[in-house]
Amino acid sequence: MSRFWKWTLGSVLGLLVAAFVGLSLMAGSPKDVYGLVRYAFPHMHRGKLRAGDDAPDVRLLALDGSNRFHLRERTGARPLVVIFGSYT
Amino acid sequence: MVKIYNDYKDHVDFLTVYVREAHPTDEWQMKSNVKEDVCYAQPKTLEQRVAIANDFVQRQKYPLPFGIDDMNDAADLAYSAWPERLYIIDEHGRIAYAGGMGPFNYDPEEVRAWLAKRYGPVTQSSSAAAPSKP
Repeated sequence: MSRFWKWTLGSVLGLLVAAFVGLSLMAGSPKDVYGLVRYAFPHMHRGKLRAGDDAPDVRLLALDGSNRFHLRERTGARPLVVIFGSYT
Repeated sequence: MVKIYNDYKDHVDFLTVYVREAHPTDEWQMKSNVKEDVCYAQPKTLEQRVAIANDFVQRQKYPLPFGIDDMNDAADLAYSAWPERLYIIDEHGRIAYAGGMGPFNYDPEEVRAWLAKRYGPVTQSSSAAAPSKP
């Protein structure tokens, strides 16, 4: 192997190790790097809605598990703060 | 968000929308959730989503109006909601504020700043019962 390729390979490996360490610190642990790459990274390009866009209407289920309503029904009279999330 | 709700509920409406779990036991579980005994598998049915949403509301004594995303993830897809995200929709049905993807860019203080700019600063609420999620 030529000196050029040794340096190239070494640099790539060094960058990969640095990226892994950086992601481990960011995510909390080396195990969480997998979660970050597997579950979070695919979503990071999302979020196309911007101020001024029409708010999409969606149908939601009430906590009682039977009644349904449209998000649009909650808008109109006053501004609506919408909080999306889950328990975990 | 509960503090902001208590501060501004006389001026604006609030709606919390439960979307698919961010850190379920069968995907990317977090140690902090094990420590706090918040351990759920990713719901496979709407009934399971309803059950977890009700667990959350009851255990956290969460006072905000609540809705649950359907199993086709329509709300998540329309609003890029997962894992957590904040919006303000104005009286004309348009996006007035679009927050970033949580947790790193999930910033309730940006919502408070928008509300304070429009209605003036309000900080009457106690910090007591303020669950961290959603």
